[in-house]
Amino acid sequence: MHARPLSPLLALALLGVALLQAQRPITVQGVRSLTFGAVLPGVPLAISRTDAVNSGQYNLTGQNNHQVQLTFTLPNVMNGPAGATMPITFAGNDAGYSSSQAIGSQVAFDPKQAFLATLNGNGRGSVFIGATARPAPMQRAGSYTGTLTLTVAYFP
Amino acid sequence: MTRRLLLPLALLALEAATLPAQGVVIAPHAVYIDARARSASVLLYNPNAEPAEVTISTFFGYPVTDSLGRIVLRTVDHPDSTDRSAAEWIQAFPRRLTVAPLERQTIRLLATPPAALPDGEYWARLVIAAKGGQVPITGVTDTAKVKVGLTLEVRTIIGMAYRKGAVRTGVAISRLRGAVAGDSLELWSRIERQGNAAYVGTIHGSLVDSSGRVRAEFRAPIGVYYVLEPRYAAAVGALAPGRYWLKLELTTQREDLAPEVILPSAAVRDSVELRIP
Repeated sequence: MHARPLSPLLALALLGVALLQAQRPITVQGVRSLTFGAVLPGVPLAISRTDAVNSGQYNLTGQNNHQVQLTFTLPNVMNGPAGATMPITFAGNDAGYSSSQAIGSQVAFDPKQAFLATLNGNGRGSVFIGATARPAPMQRAGSYTGTLTLTVAYFP
Repeated sequence: MTRRLLLPLALLALEAATLPAQGVVIAPHAVYIDARARSASVLLYNPNAEPAEVTISTFFGYPVTDSLGRIVLRTVDHPDSTDRSAAEWIQAFPRRLTVAPLERQTIRLLATPPAALPDGEYWARLVIAAKGGQVPITGVTDTAKVKVGLTLEVRTIIGMAYRKGAVRTGVAISRLRGAVAGDSLELWSRIERQGNAAYVGTIHGSLVDSSGRVRAEFRAPIGVYYVLEPRYAAAVGALAPGRYWLKLELTTQREDLAPEVILPSAAVRDSVELRIP
C-alpha cells in the first residue's frame, strides 16, 4: 500500500469522501496512560478512575446516540528490569464511562466484563480506568510497564 | 465542497489538532461489498504526533442480546456452514502497516467467496488494532525507585457485509410488552430477521395515552442479524392511572449510512395496551 505525507487538511479532505458516504468516521483514542509514578516496595498503590492526572483515559467518537461495546484486555503483571514483574489488579468498579466526557460524571463498570455504552448526541464519550499496583517487599528497582487494550465494537 | 461536509471536516480538524496519543481515525464505520466488485476499502488517518502501528484482522460475529436485553457482540470462533460467515474469504491488504503522523492509508478488502455461494448477505467483522509509541515514565534516571505505568492500546471493530445476488430483509415483531418502573418506561420485544440479509434500521418506541399524547419515547439504531430480544428504557413523568398504548416501529431509515447501502423494507409496527393501576 502506498503512503505519502499529507497536510492535515488535505488528509481530512480525503477523509471527506468517506464522510460523505458514512457521515462521520470513528475514532478510539488513548489520550492518557494509566500512571502510578513512584511506588514503595511492599505498599500497594491504587489509582482511581476519577484521578484526573494518573487514570487512563480513552476518547471515543462515532455516530450520534449509537451503542458501542467496550471490552478491556487487562494485564496481570507489569514487566520490569531483568525479567522482574509486578502484579496489577483491577477491581469491579475500576472502569468508568462518561457520555459527557467529564471525569467527574462517570458510570462505573467492571473492566473484566463487557460494557455497553451509548455515545452522546454529538457522537462522543470517554472511558476512564484505574488499577492497583502491588509491588513486592523486595521489588527490584526500575521502570515497570504493561499494555492496557480497549476494544470498541460498533454495531451497524 | 458542500457546507454539509465542511462542518464535520472543520470539527475533525480541530479535534485532530488536539489529540495527543494513540489511535487512528477510521472511515467508514460499516463496510458493504457488492459481489460484482468483490472489493472495498477502509481509510485510516493518523492525527497524532507519533506513528501508529496498525494490525488488521477479521472474525465472524454478530449482535445478539443477553439475558438483560442488552445488545452484545457474539463472536463465533469456528462458524459452520449454516452461519453466514464471510470471515474466511474476505482478506485485508495490508494486514500490518505503520501510519505516520498526519498521514492516511487505505486498507483494501478483497472477497474471494466460494463458487457456489447462494444469494444473500454474508458477514464478518474487521478489527483495526492501533498501537502508538510507548508513553515514557518520568524519573527513571533514579535507579533506586520503582516506577510504574501502563500504555494504552485500542482496537476498533466494525461490521462488513458481502452481498450477492438478490438480497432482501425485513423483521417480525412479537412478544411486545412493557412496564413503568419508577420514572422509566421499560419495553421488551422479540425481533426476528426475515429474508437473507441483516435488517439495519431504526427502532422507535413510544407510550401514548388515551388522548394520543406521547408520554415517553426512545429512538435507536438497530441491526438484526438473526433474533434480538432487546430491552429499551425511556424516561417517563408521572402517569395517571388508566389505559395507555405501547407502540413499537422499525424502519430502515438510517442517517449514518449511505442510502445506496440501505436495504429498504416496509415499516413494521406493533402495539399493546398497557394499564397503569
